[in-house]
Parts: sequence; structure tokens; C-alpha cells
Amino acid sequence: MERTVTVVPEAGLHARPASKLVQTANRFDADVSIGRADDGDDGLVRADSMLAVSGLNVSNGESVRVVAEGTDAEAALDAVCELLTSPVDNGESE
Amino acid sequence: MTTLTGIGSTPLSGVGIARWYRPEADLTLPAHPNPSEVDADAELSRFEAARDDAREAIRQARDRTAERVGEDEAAVFDAHEGFLDDPELVGDIEAAIEDGTVAEHAVNDRFAAAVEQFEALDGRMAERADDLRDVRDRLLRALLNVDGLSDLGDLPDGTVVVAERLTPSDTAELDPDAVAGIATAAGGRTAHAAIIARSLSIPAVVGIGESLHQVTDGDDLLVDGSDGRVVIDPDPAERAAAEADETAAITEHVATTDGRPVEVAANVGSEAELAPAADRGADGIGLFRTEFLFLDREAPPSEDEQYDAVTAALSAFPDDRVVVRTLDVGGDKQVPYLDLPSETNPFLGRRGIRLSLDEHRDLFEMQLRALLRAAAHEHGDGLAVMFPLVSRLEEVDAALEAVESAAADLAAAGVDHAVPELGAMVETPAAVFLADHLAARLDFLSIGTNDLTQYVMAADRENDGVAAYHDPLHPAVLRAIDRTASAAAETDAWVGMCGEMAGDPALTELLVGLGLDELSMSAVTVPAVKSRVREVDTVAARALAEEALACETRAAVRDVLDIDAA
Repeated sequence: MERTVTVVPEAGLHARPASKLVQTANRFDADVSIGRADDGDDGLVRADSMLAVSGLNVSNGESVRVVAEGTDAEAALDAVCELLTSPVDNGESE
Repeated sequence: MTTLTGIGSTPLSGVGIARWYRPEADLTLPAHPNPSEVDADAELSRFEAARDDAREAIRQARDRTAERVGEDEAAVFDAHEGFLDDPELVGDIEAAIEDGTVAEHAVNDRFAAAVEQFEALDGRMAERADDLRDVRDRLLRALLNVDGLSDLGDLPDGTVVVAERLTPSDTAELDPDAVAGIATAAGGRTAHAAIIARSLSIPAVVGIGESLHQVTDGDDLLVDGSDGRVVIDPDPAERAAAEADETAAITEHVATTDGRPVEVAANVGSEAELAPAADRGADGIGLFRTEFLFLDREAPPSEDEQYDAVTAALSAFPDDRVVVRTLDVGGDKQVPYLDLPSETNPFLGRRGIRLSLDEHRDLFEMQLRALLRAAAHEHGDGLAVMFPLVSRLEEVDAALEAVESAAADLAAAGVDHAVPELGAMVETPAAVFLADHLAARLDFLSIGTNDLTQYVMAADRENDGVAAYHDPLHPAVLRAIDRTASAAAETDAWVGMCGEMAGDPALTELLVGLGLDELSMSAVTVPAVKSRVREVDTVAARALAEEALACETRAAVRDVLDIDAA
């Protein structure tokens, strides 16, 4: 299952938004991957890797595709897309 | 005396004794043993233990930075923990160990590849490579039993730290009371380490390059973060100038040698900046950006929340003025829930007062109610409110009507309120040409030099290709400032300046000569500007301003002001 969303956090997928995304992806059993919407399957990288996610170098306003597979795939997609489309930086809270 | 040039990162100066910090020298790796002699299980346990040590150290650095600097700056350490536990990095390193590589080399090789990958990307990513190096060094130190960071936190007073590069962890470790400055060969102004140094008010020049290697341990070193210079064996005049820059906060109001008062205020963009601004002796706030109340959230702040933020600012400066700018979004400033239009030319589009009088009228009215209520608060007589990006008198008239109607609504509801001082920002050439009418209608004008320079010179602030145009010392910009100040002088309105230009002590005499009553700047430069104001004579300053205004070129202006060509 997958979804395509536009990245809202001002910093793009760098710094804090990237670490939040990685922490979130790690909370689920599902395998979550992420890539630029235009790059197709070859552009997907694992969302639980800080190296891979920040290496995508995605900026605010870009369209990204999130793919999740596994038992809690839907919940994982919801959580990851919520982060990607929310301007809120939760700071301390999870 | 030898002068090296780099990028000024913290606009302060300091003089001290050079001391090279070479963490990599301690991290010499052992020779590669024969793979058949490597006990893979033992190496895997060592790697695991090193990760535990590094995780503990990263969390300590995170907590220390959160406490000493702030939550935003501490967030970089969450990213470090992310790299430390990265499944790709960890998986590859464990695989290399199982193939007979000792842990140190497995870590070093895999991180080297990752650093290379990041550095091949653009500037911002290259800076993230520093984060990877930071995590790598922590792991190597743990594996090699080297306690590398401890001595950075315990340097003798007056040390200038000289390094190839400093990681964010290194920088957070520094004691701002002991460290007189930082000079690094690598690094940029927006790197995390540079931001942390600024927050700690440590003078810093970064990106000096190879020439930094002329510095040897024990050299007398001057770090001039305003001009991006490092001077080896500075002469007494240079030292004196730098030491004047280290001036402790001047808490009282300052005036020129002939008694003309000049308010030196701070630009503040969050509640956390209020106390540091007061500590540096700012005479109030010359630009309180309200955007922070609206960003990073899903709905606009309530009227009460805005009231609380403004009264907190008034309480922080009970004897001084607090100038609040009404919401200035649009253009490049994204606020998702406000549904701002996407425009091909956002700097010439719907931003500032244009939105407040139209599609964001409801937000504007709510903000005005909060401000009028705050004006009736304990120190509310110090409140002033200004409107951003004014270009037409109709806008000012409409804004004044909105203030009146907010006052009438509050009166009808029996709510305590008062009308604060009202002013306009002068950021557009249109506002410059209309400055006489603006000053007649309002209590004050505040010149926003960053945008004014951009619009007068038709040069995008963010476009490096036109960086040479983006200098307020171009004669056209100086004339715009002069015209605005002269128009205000004909009326009872006071005129201030908020923008990078106001905080440059090298320009203080010029700005006093141009007739500015108030200068508002990053809090860190307040002491230097206050101390400079006290040396200025208004007659000489006016003569200097006349001379600068008569110049035909930017180079000539710089020459008159005795500023080196950029």
C-alpha cells in the first residue's frame, strides 16, 4: 500500500523532520520505504534509515511517495504521512 | 601581523592564545590484522559497546545543549542518534566485521563512504557530513579508548580554538567564558556548529581554508567575526578595537558626545530571545516578529495566546519600548494552514499588510485586539505596533481604521484596552517616496534595510548571482534612507531602522548622521553599537553622511567610510 504526499516541514527531510520520520518508521513492524514521487521504484529507500532518508535530500514542497508493507502497514502510512504533511514540529513529544 | 580571511560567523571579536584542536590526531587506527586472526564475535561486542558509549555521550550532549543553548539547537543530536542506530550503517559495519575487519576499520570505512556521498550533494548536505564525522569520531574514540572531548570543556581562559573543523558536539562542549574565539578552516555560516557558536556568543570565523595552517599553537590571535578576519600577532590598534568590541553590556541609554540620544534596541523573533536581549543591555525591542506565534502549528494562535506573548515582551522591558510588527507572512514564508497562494514572483506578490487587509483580515483583527488589550497592560504604554510592506497610503488608512474599529469593539464589550503608538515599515521604494505622508499620519517609521535594499536594487536577497547588488551602502539605498529620515524629521514622527545594517558598528556614525533615532539589531551586536554611539559627534556624523550621500558608487561610499571592499 502506498501514498503520495507533498512535504510540508520547512526544513524538508533534513535535520529534525528526518530524525522524526526515521523514529516513526522504526516504531512499526511494516517495512516502510520512501522516495521522490517522480523517481519510481528505483528511487525508494528505507524510511527507517537516517542515512538513506537524509541522503534523499528532499526539500519542502517536493512530492514524495511512501510505500508500506506488512501487518501494520496502514497505521505506519498514516503516521509517516501525518509527519510529512504537518508543519508542526512536535519538539519533545512523540 | 598577518591577516587571514574567512566567513564571519558570530559577529563579535576576541583576542587570545591560539590552540589547535586536532581530534583526528588521537584517532590513529591500528594496522589491519590478518582477517583470519580477527575474532569476529569479540569485535561485534566491541562495536556494540562502543555504540552504547556513543549513545550515552550523544544524549548527554543533547541535554547539555538544550539547557545551555536551546531545544532547537539540541535537535541536531537526535539526528546523530539516528545515524548511530542507522540500520544501513550498522548492518554494513557488522557485515564487514563478520568478514574479518576489525571494528575500528569497519566503522571508519563505512562512515568515509557515507561522508563522501553527502559531500557530493549540495551545500546543505555537505554540512550534514559534519554530523556523520561527529558520530564516527565518537565511535572511534570509544573503540580506541580516547577521551577526546574532555579537554575542550576545560580550556584555559583566553583560548582561541583553531581547528580544521568543529563538530556540533565539539562546539557545545566549549565554555563561552574561557573561549575567546573560534577559527576553522572548513565550515559555513549555517552549519550547526556555527549556529551553536552564535548562540553561545563566541566570536567565530569559519571557512578560512588552507591559510589557517600558518597559525601555530601559542600565537596571539584576533578573531574578528564581524568582518570575517583572523589576525596573527595583531598590532596594538587592532587589539584595542577588538577589545572594545568585547564591551560588556551597557544597560543605560546612550547618547552621542554632544548629547543626542540614540535608542539601541534588539530584534526578537521568539520569547526565548527576550531575556538574552535584556541581558545585553538592549533599550527595548525595535522589531518583535510575531511570525513565531504562527509557524510550526496547525491553526492560528488565539487572541489570548498573542496577548500573553506581547505582555511577556513588555514585562521583559518594563522601562523601554517594544515595537511589534503585525503578521508578516506570504512570499517565501510558508504557513500551510493559511493557504497562501503559490506565486511566480513571491517577493512582489501577496505578503505583509496586503494579506492582512484582505484574505487574512480576520487574523489581523484578532491580532489588533490582542495588541490593544496589551497596550492597557502594566507596561503597555511602551507598546508600539507597525505594519509591514506598506506601499500605499490607502493601506495605512485602512489599517488605522481597523485599529479604531477594534478599539470600538473592545470598548463596547467593556474590555480594558488602549491604542499603542502606530507606525509603518519602510521597505519599498513606494514607502520611501511617500515617507512625508506616512510620517504625517503615523507616530513612527522603521526602515527595514534588508527588503529595502532588495527592492531598491531589484536584487533578490537569496540569489548569490546578485549578491554585490545586495549592499545597503549603494548610493541609491543611502539616498532612500536619507529621504525617509528627512521626511520624518519634518514631523513629530520618530524614525528607526531594523535590519542587518543597523547592527554593524562600522556604520553607526553614518546612521546617526542620517538622522536615525533608533537602531534595532540582533541582540549580540547591541553592546558594540551602544559603545560606538557614545563616541559619535552628531556634527561630524552629519558631515560624514553628506559625504557618503554625495558618492557616485558603492566603492566610493566604502572609501569614505573606510571600509575594505567586500
